[in-house]
Amino acid sequence: MSKNLISIKNLDVKYITNKKPVHAVKDVSFDIKKGEIFGLVGESGCGKSTVVQSIIRTLNPPAIITNGYIKYNNKDILSLSVSEVRKLRWSQISIVMQSALNALNPVLTIKEQIIDVFITHKGMSKFEAVEKSKELLELVDIDRDRLESYAHELSGGMRQRVVLAIALALTPPLIIMDEPTTALDVIIEREILLKILELRKSLDFTILFITHDLNLLLEFADKIGVMKKGELVEVDITKKIKLGGEKEYTKKLISSLPSASGKRGIEFFPEPNLPSKTGIPMLEMKNINKEYLIGGFFKKKTLHAVKDFSLRIFKGEIIGLVGESGSGKSTIAQLITRLETQTSGSILLNGTDLKRNRSKNVSLGYRKKVQMIFQDPFGSLNNIHNVYHHLSRPILRHNIVPKIKLEKYIYKLLESVELSPGKLFAKKFPHEMSGGERQRVAIARALSVKPDLVIADEPTSMLDVSIRMDILRILAKLRNEHNVAILFITHDLASARYLADRIIVLQNGKKIEQGIAEDLIQSPKELYTKQLIAAASPGWLENAILEQ
Amino acid sequence: MNKNSILKRWGRGIIKNKKASFGLYFVFSLIGLSIFGPLFTLDPTAFLGTPLSPPSLEHFFGTNGQGQDVLSQTIAGARQTLLVAFTTGFFVVIIGAFIGGAAGYYGGKVDDFLSLIINVFLVMPGLPLMVILASWLPPGPLTLAGVLILTGWAWNARVIRSQMMSLKGRDFVLAAIISGESNSRIIFVEIMPRILSLLASSFIGASVYAIGAQVGLEFLGLGDVSTVSWGTNLYWASNDLALLTGSWWTFVPTGLSIALISFSLTLINFGIDEVTNPRLISEKNWKKELPDNTLNNGVTPVVRKNV
Repeated sequence: MSKNLISIKNLDVKYITNKKPVHAVKDVSFDIKKGEIFGLVGESGCGKSTVVQSIIRTLNPPAIITNGYIKYNNKDILSLSVSEVRKLRWSQISIVMQSALNALNPVLTIKEQIIDVFITHKGMSKFEAVEKSKELLELVDIDRDRLESYAHELSGGMRQRVVLAIALALTPPLIIMDEPTTALDVIIEREILLKILELRKSLDFTILFITHDLNLLLEFADKIGVMKKGELVEVDITKKIKLGGEKEYTKKLISSLPSASGKRGIEFFPEPNLPSKTGIPMLEMKNINKEYLIGGFFKKKTLHAVKDFSLRIFKGEIIGLVGESGSGKSTIAQLITRLETQTSGSILLNGTDLKRNRSKNVSLGYRKKVQMIFQDPFGSLNNIHNVYHHLSRPILRHNIVPKIKLEKYIYKLLESVELSPGKLFAKKFPHEMSGGERQRVAIARALSVKPDLVIADEPTSMLDVSIRMDILRILAKLRNEHNVAILFITHDLASARYLADRIIVLQNGKKIEQGIAEDLIQSPKELYTKQLIAAASPGWLENAILEQ
Repeated sequence: MNKNSILKRWGRGIIKNKKASFGLYFVFSLIGLSIFGPLFTLDPTAFLGTPLSPPSLEHFFGTNGQGQDVLSQTIAGARQTLLVAFTTGFFVVIIGAFIGGAAGYYGGKVDDFLSLIINVFLVMPGLPLMVILASWLPPGPLTLAGVLILTGWAWNARVIRSQMMSLKGRDFVLAAIISGESNSRIIFVEIMPRILSLLASSFIGASVYAIGAQVGLEFLGLGDVSTVSWGTNLYWASNDLALLTGSWWTFVPTGLSIALISFSLTLINFGIDEVTNPRLISEKNWKKELPDNTLNNGVTPVVRKNV
């Protein structure tokens, strides 16, 4: 038995507010042994970040720690003085933050930010510090010449490596990683994790890894703690968690993980029906190009967001558009909803070509046919208005039902997205509902005008894992009930597999591959698709290590 | 609307907020006084007693150089001053909302054109323009309000434009566009309520500015000196050499009234700020609960009871 590097006991953290204090962390206790990878998983707002920030005491009031101990090498961090805490930070415990663009200072070069660590903590001369920094960059596989770069000149993956390098600078025994790969694409996420594991072998540090993605932790953590609403629900070794754990909540989390490989395991989805693809498609995009002019006054560049993209959607069909951030998938959504106009190419609705109007002059008829569900359900609902307003406006605008029947229609609509009783939910305001409920309202709004096509732009990515499947299931159900076509835009191949009939894979604005969902998953042709599938299948990290 | 509406919550918050309710109380009493006060006071323009007599039981605030009752003059002056102030505040916000709102929402050529107009009005030197206009146009409260609106609207339009630009790209606006809402409805029903606190504080800010500018112009003799307002009261006090003769009672009541109304309006503004931005209040609360040495040192405070 190796001894505990860090041991947290009965930790309580509260936020003082106008009313009752918010109890963000309740009685949390866990130990991390030396050399271990400890994963802390939980949905947004469950207090996992508050726990790790308490360890290095970076939370600012109104947060206060009201109870408990955090022992680091048997010394209580909570009773250290301010200067002692400062010494502890970085030399003993460092942290890798979620968003690398925000963690790096945009007006300083990488060099200045790394040497700063050496100069303050080790008292090195500038020359020594620069030499050390170069070594450090090479450690994370970045060319030493990039030291003079600014953060914006590096890609997302490189930035995250730089942040990792800064955290490693003083070779601290414990590194806290707070969602270090969340903002990254799956393939880059995989590279970064491999790098971390490789470095751990040579530098021998302990990792406390925070994430909302249980799938990820199952790949490499030794021990996993599951948090919910400020409490630690369960702590166990990964093997046991993988089998479902002991607590109900853990079981729910495990069962809500779709996989991109193996058999289609989830029963409650209706089998994909493949509508007859004959006749005139409901909506067709022909050789669409979209270019944006970017850059300043003197240096104009064109960004080719969508390249020669064609798409045919038939009535009642669900198409999954899969791509990573920057692949142009959201631009395609904006083109179809006519919030943007294409640079060239044409969009046909039921066989007739649409004029290129500005978004504010698009005909009402088109608006009735094509609706959209946004990614962030809090942003897409106006928190000034209640649910009734959100649903009644489009219905009245398009004369879907006469005014006397409006109320009943809205209640029915709400109940069809499983918000019942509809009467109760109609009165609610966005801030009174959970994320999942808000997203259902957004779905109801899109369906309220009986559209032919609904574009769902990452409808689940802002939601907690445990309710994502519910939303997908509702979408599948509504397709069957209303015979509406859905363009399901996502970065997650696994969820597209379950919802979509056909899948289109997009990379850098170009269509890479398309095919019937299950066929594409089982026998992908392109390398990129294979990588995406591999990165979304259990055991991928192990396989990747074996490959190396 | 049920009680959980944000607008209603703000309304309740304003009433509960000490600063805002204090300010509202004073503003409304001054408005009430300016409306009903003149019914009970003496004729403010009549010659009623020995000029420049100090406060007495007969004339609570004394008389001015023309032998007029200062108390009546102060109360009567409130009417015109407040009328001009709130008219100006109202129109500055309305014009700003229309022009700034349209410029921000439509963007492109509409924005280029409207921004040009806004910028022209912004770079015009306000004070000289005010002085010239006020002396050139027939004097009177309407002229004053017009001059103040003309020189005051552009800044507010600019602020609303920038707010509109940041809000128009939000998902809820895009959602409204996609659901087929008309542009004017999106601007006034979806977006404007979101910036209601900004509009309210612009109204108050513009009113405070209008009081100051108006009194200033009238003090310089650029208003209609035959009417009674706080500005003309001060103009006459200065003409009668009130400072040299030591007759403080001719300008102190008016001066205090101006200070009081500006102060109350500013208090309401603070109140709106606190209600619509709850962080400001909670900061006060937690500062009370924590020991001083744990604040602002970058380390999470630990307050353990059983250690």
